[in-house]
Amino acid sequence: MPTPPWLSKLNEKAKPYGKLTALEPVAFGPNLRVERYRLENGLEILFCPDRSAPVIAYHTWFRVGSRHEREGKTGLAHLFEHLMFNELEGRKAGEFDRLLEEAGAESNASTWLDWTQYNISIPKDRLSLVVGLEAERMQKLVLREPQVVSEKEVVANERRYRVDDDIEGSVSELLWSTAFTRHAYKAPTIGWMPDIQGFTTEDCAEFYKTFYAPNNAVLVVVGDVGSSRLLELISRAYGDIPPSQLPLEDVHPEPAQLEQRVKEVEKPTPTEKVTIGFHSPAFGDWDHPILSLLIEVLFGGRASRLHKRLVRDLEIASEVRSFVGPFKDPGLVELFLSAREGHKAEELVKVLDEELERVKEEPIEPEEIERARARFELGLLAGLETMDGKASTLGFHETLLGRPGAAFDRLDAIRLADASELRRVARRYFGLNTRSIVYVRSQAPAASGEAS
Amino acid sequence: MSAATKASAGRADVLLEVSHDLPLVSLTVATRNGGMFDPPGKEGLTRLCARLMRRTGGGRDPQELDTRVDSIGASVGADVAQSVTLFQGTVIRRSLDAFVEIACDIIGRPGLAEVEFERLRREVLAELVESLDDDRGLARRWFRRKMFEGHPYGRALSGTATSLSAISLDDVRERARALASSEPLFAFSGDIERAEAEALSDRVLGVFSDSKPLSDPTPEPTMAPGRRLVIVDKPERTQTQILIGGLGTHAHDPDHTALLVGNTIFGGTFTARLTDEVRSKRGWSYGAYSSLPFDRRRQAFSMWTFPKADDAAACIELELGMLQALREKGVTKKELTAAKRYLTRSHAFAIDTASKRVGLELEGRLYDLPPGYHAEYTKRVAAVTLDEVNQALQARLPEKELLIVVVGTASEIRSAIEAKIPDLGSTEVVPHDAEA
Repeated sequence: MPTPPWLSKLNEKAKPYGKLTALEPVAFGPNLRVERYRLENGLEILFCPDRSAPVIAYHTWFRVGSRHEREGKTGLAHLFEHLMFNELEGRKAGEFDRLLEEAGAESNASTWLDWTQYNISIPKDRLSLVVGLEAERMQKLVLREPQVVSEKEVVANERRYRVDDDIEGSVSELLWSTAFTRHAYKAPTIGWMPDIQGFTTEDCAEFYKTFYAPNNAVLVVVGDVGSSRLLELISRAYGDIPPSQLPLEDVHPEPAQLEQRVKEVEKPTPTEKVTIGFHSPAFGDWDHPILSLLIEVLFGGRASRLHKRLVRDLEIASEVRSFVGPFKDPGLVELFLSAREGHKAEELVKVLDEELERVKEEPIEPEEIERARARFELGLLAGLETMDGKASTLGFHETLLGRPGAAFDRLDAIRLADASELRRVARRYFGLNTRSIVYVRSQAPAASGEAS
Repeated sequence: MSAATKASAGRADVLLEVSHDLPLVSLTVATRNGGMFDPPGKEGLTRLCARLMRRTGGGRDPQELDTRVDSIGASVGADVAQSVTLFQGTVIRRSLDAFVEIACDIIGRPGLAEVEFERLRREVLAELVESLDDDRGLARRWFRRKMFEGHPYGRALSGTATSLSAISLDDVRERARALASSEPLFAFSGDIERAEAEALSDRVLGVFSDSKPLSDPTPEPTMAPGRRLVIVDKPERTQTQILIGGLGTHAHDPDHTALLVGNTIFGGTFTARLTDEVRSKRGWSYGAYSSLPFDRRRQAFSMWTFPKADDAAACIELELGMLQALREKGVTKKELTAAKRYLTRSHAFAIDTASKRVGLELEGRLYDLPPGYHAEYTKRVAAVTLDEVNQALQARLPEKELLIVVVGTASEIRSAIEAKIPDLGSTEVVPHDAEA
């Protein structure tokens, strides 16, 4: 793509790694356009102009997640995400957050299997502050022992909250560690408790040096700013940061699961539950949107097949849910069913299996497919209402697929999927003898010995 | 961007915010008739009624109606709070007409068939059982119940097994008529122009019968005397859920804005005192925040933390000490400056979409907020002085009348916690599966 004159001028005075290359812009749905650039150090930049409000969403996506961890060191990517809010060279501990808050920013971060992302939304007149701070923490993070110790305790408490004392969190973790035996997806992103408690400051420093580099990151900016001003700020702030030699990934493919794996746990809950995992395609696979559409037919909303049978007609379940993991490598389509009091989880599984066998045999009616498609479309559009929502959608699809506008490609795929395709993916992925199941049994109540 | 505008459309009261960025339209039909109007002993009636209306609009079978809503690319929900009931939804622009017809069916022509009423009641009872798994939800329910005991704000919006069993179909039908005769407010946002919004509002208004303004007879809540500890006893908890609080603010208090600013400094942001002391310095809790919600009457102030069981007593001691220090010593000028900057600048994110802007305007009307409450918000915050904040904290923060609710395993935490609460008046241990 030819370099626009303003960009050539900007490049003339750029820092060593601050030269920008303009790449082909891409469409983002019918009305929006995304400009794409790359800095000399490999940092990718996506910019979607949006003047609907005087604010800007500024996201940084790193291509590192818990898939890059090894046994004994699980949870490092997530712990590190916490540490990224601590101290920067030349600044006091906590100054990063204080400066952002005084600027009126909203900031947060998240880590999952394949990526880590940092998001800041800022009034447009404070953009330069965010660009500067984000560039600083890509290269000037300070890691000290007391902060690492304190943050490990915070993460341990987060784990107690989300996993240890949470039934769904704990059984989901068990499901994944049952379904995966070799691939890194077998370990939870938050990490096993002994691993969290065992991290050293050196572990964190090594992780930072290895993965937090401009050539492992994507900047996504959506909002009310001009291209030239934005890129000048970015070039200046990130133009001194050298690229890293990124390690080759050491991820092992998951061997095919050839048997049904069943586990049982007892929990202090009044009702039985069951979670089931079928191995599912990678997010970039042709089948992923089709399987997602099928899951919408089966589990999406009160008009879905499983809700109708289990919750409404038979009244043996209080809740049914499912989603197809959106991951770089093949993951799981995860089902969660909660029984009503007095009913066994096996009763729910029996009905589920009948419905899964049914979609393998009988074509799904066009009206059901249309209903599921419309739910998809509404969900996509509703997620784009804020600039932050647009930035999340762009960053996620760029990081996973290298195609920022792919959310709308998935919508196109869903529009094309017909009953034949749905039946084919049902037959391919819903193997009843190659799935993993975790049953949750109600524990007999243990008296605490307390009375008022 | 403009403030939400009120349009005159027949008798309808219409709020509107236009945005053509996405082909979506959102509509809220709101009334000031909420769950606090449930008759004593029939708590949960309004929510049960609104859900049944949502399911049986136009006399349809719920499955058929849900399929219709999904298929046109819409979402529709019924939301009941203490003071308001909202029917709200979003639709892809191309299906707007069908969406409004569904809204008319739900509000004005609900089937309310007996078989569906009984089915929904069984479903709600199952949801109540299921909710026992949610420790945070348990803490919030018991805090509300004990904080506002005997007051309408203390009632269980979802009801209890006992109250739900006492509700008859006639009760539901009468409640549905009451909802459809309460004066409605219409709030549109998104890909729609004023004339169309007015015409559609008039269509929905047509299903309301003799709609009239509803006065709010709720008295101001009062707080039970003394410091009370309530432990919601649940087995095998590695962690606790803790809520500590008392009476909070009223939007018409002269020191309302000053108190909001003070709360921001104390526990309203990630760098606030609570997060700094509880999370950053000690690592005791993943989150540590305080909040000051409002309603048409005075609501509660509360602090929320969730430390592991071994740290619960020390965490409560720390929070009580911080609350006392805040009340007695106040905040600093530096803290005030930072908080005012945060609140005035971050307001941009309260108004960055059409649905948020119209939502604020609707909130002002439904909760009787002072005129210009949201429009003048940043000016009021900017004008707050250090003395005003510190006086508000001293006057309003709870001290002697304090409620501490802890979800945890009582046998493991009770004595340690009791030892750390000065002047503790009473301790009550309730089973986690008791009705609340």
